Amino acid sequence: MTKTLSKNELESWLGNILKERTLVAPRCVDDLTLFLPVASVDEIAFDCGNTDLSPKDWFFPRTEALFTAEHKDADIEITPAVIEQETVIFGIRPCDAKGIAILDGPYLADPADSLWAQHRAKTTMIGLSCSSPAPQCFCTSMGGAPFDSSSVDILLTEVNDGYIVDAVTEKGEKLLQGVELKESDVSGSVPSCDTQVPAEGITEAVKRAFDDPYWGRLADRCLHCNICAYVCPTCYCFDIRDRTEGGKIERLRTWESCQSKGFTKIAGGHDPRVDKGSRLRQRFCHKLLYFPEQFGPLGCVGCGRCVVSCPVNIDIREIISDVQELGAKVGEGSS
Amino acid sequence: MREAADMVDVNPFVPFPATLSRVVDLTPDVKLFTLELDNPEDGFDYKPGQFGFVSAYGAGEAPFGLTSVAYRKEGLQFAIRSVGTVTYALHQLEPGAKVGVRGPFGNFFPMDDYRGRRIIIIGGGIGFAPLRPVITTVLDNRKDYAEVVIINGARTPQDLCFATEFDDWAKAPNTKVELTVDAGDDNWKGRTALIPDVVADLKPSPENAIAVICGPPIMIRFTLQGLKKLGFGDDQIVTTLEGKMKCGLGKCFRCNVGEKYVCRDGPVFTFEQISGFIEQF
Repeated sequence: MTKTLSKNELESWLGNILKERTLVAPRCVDDLTLFLPVASVDEIAFDCGNTDLSPKDWFFPRTEALFTAEHKDADIEITPAVIEQETVIFGIRPCDAKGIAILDGPYLADPADSLWAQHRAKTTMIGLSCSSPAPQCFCTSMGGAPFDSSSVDILLTEVNDGYIVDAVTEKGEKLLQGVELKESDVSGSVPSCDTQVPAEGITEAVKRAFDDPYWGRLADRCLHCNICAYVCPTCYCFDIRDRTEGGKIERLRTWESCQSKGFTKIAGGHDPRVDKGSRLRQRFCHKLLYFPEQFGPLGCVGCGRCVVSCPVNIDIREIISDVQELGAKVGEGSS
Repeated sequence: MREAADMVDVNPFVPFPATLSRVVDLTPDVKLFTLELDNPEDGFDYKPGQFGFVSAYGAGEAPFGLTSVAYRKEGLQFAIRSVGTVTYALHQLEPGAKVGVRGPFGNFFPMDDYRGRRIIIIGGGIGFAPLRPVITTVLDNRKDYAEVVIINGARTPQDLCFATEFDDWAKAPNTKVELTVDAGDDNWKGRTALIPDVVADLKPSPENAIAVICGPPIMIRFTLQGLKKLGFGDDQIVTTLEGKMKCGLGKCFRCNVGEKYVCRDGPVFTFEQISGFIEQF
């Protein structure tokens, strides 16, 4: 038996949530669908598919003060940032939720990033299964699934006249308190991702293909626009700088991308990744080699956003296939 | 893994409050800054080779190798060259100014393992700063170590860091100081040669020796090769690397060389480790 909720009941539940907390959900703004706070349930784009930007902004904002500093007489007074607001994110897809969950690896490793930990603690994620994956999606190749409930607090799965409700965590159960769920024997049909990417063994293959001229050729067309990093649910590199306004100093953390020129340039002028090839290789080595070596999972969840967004069609799915072939060749050569 | 909710208390980006107690010109563009923690109970116990982030509030913060030794309790010292936004702002500060400091970060030179051995210390430019604690430790415990050769190089005679200390170093028993510049002037009596050439000329014996190197990457690379030619083993050559860094905590992923973080796995690496790097530093 499963528990279900009708569309109307879901809307009234979400309506109640937004009276007490910030409710973030997919909203259509101009021609984009983005995770934004909603003032009423009518604003939610229920059938939008995956959003144009991932919801990582709600855990790792594109700009966030780590602390503020103010001159007080002869001293400097520091006020660390505190996240007060309880937030519920509705409509997060399993791939995006997994993206957030795997970033616990670097961010909660000792010493924990307290802001990330606060965002995580204050946020409840209501996931939505993907009933019709998009053509660019390949989550099943990256260890995910359209119905994967492992990284959300509650998973909703759309069925004919409503949603199957799966309370995954304690946090999720708490949010569902007082909501009357119906017992039902319906089950969601499990869709599949059409695109299969040969990700198995990619970590070894990318290591073998590290010195191949492939990366330089591929990077020739890269415009280093950084869009791949900005849309990615698992890109987490950042910059830190100060902003001063009216005597108040904010130490800001902002998104940064390894594709930026000068990302690795040090004070004396030396830059170990001065060419685009080594920068592009860094992006894919981070996701497919360094991240899994350090934290276990691959640093890509198969959401396909970079595939759609790249203006010059640099496609991680093709790269994984190419690198598997290259790695196999290098493997033969060295044996 | 602990729950996120249990990890919200300590913000690792908040620096310890500190006061600039002393500022000394080392070269036309390098100053030696001494910081005292405003709350000594914050603690900042560090070892030769470790680094910290110094904040000039309003301009930002940047990582610098500690150039003092903790046991002397002479404050936290950093030799800083004015080259960017933060370093320029630091250079405008005077004693009494409030700053911030985070750290100590990274690994360190295992000075205890070097006891009884000959030590060749090779530094170029501002890269000499993180090697000064090695010299201080060795000279303060002179009988614990064998022969010491110090090679310090810079662009011009005026750019040699810690010039006022050269005589003291040279006076220590069984200790040799070799100075070299890229371009000398009329008063220059030392060498005019690149550091790798000085190493080739001096031919330090690898027997029972450890070579400790820091400087610009190109200098490090050629010096490593030179030492290899002289017969130094991969575990006898130690260097400290620099990387663009924002956090020092293994999170911002800017200082990685392949799968290694300079901030957390380094900055001190043996040639053996460097040879295993997938990526060029």
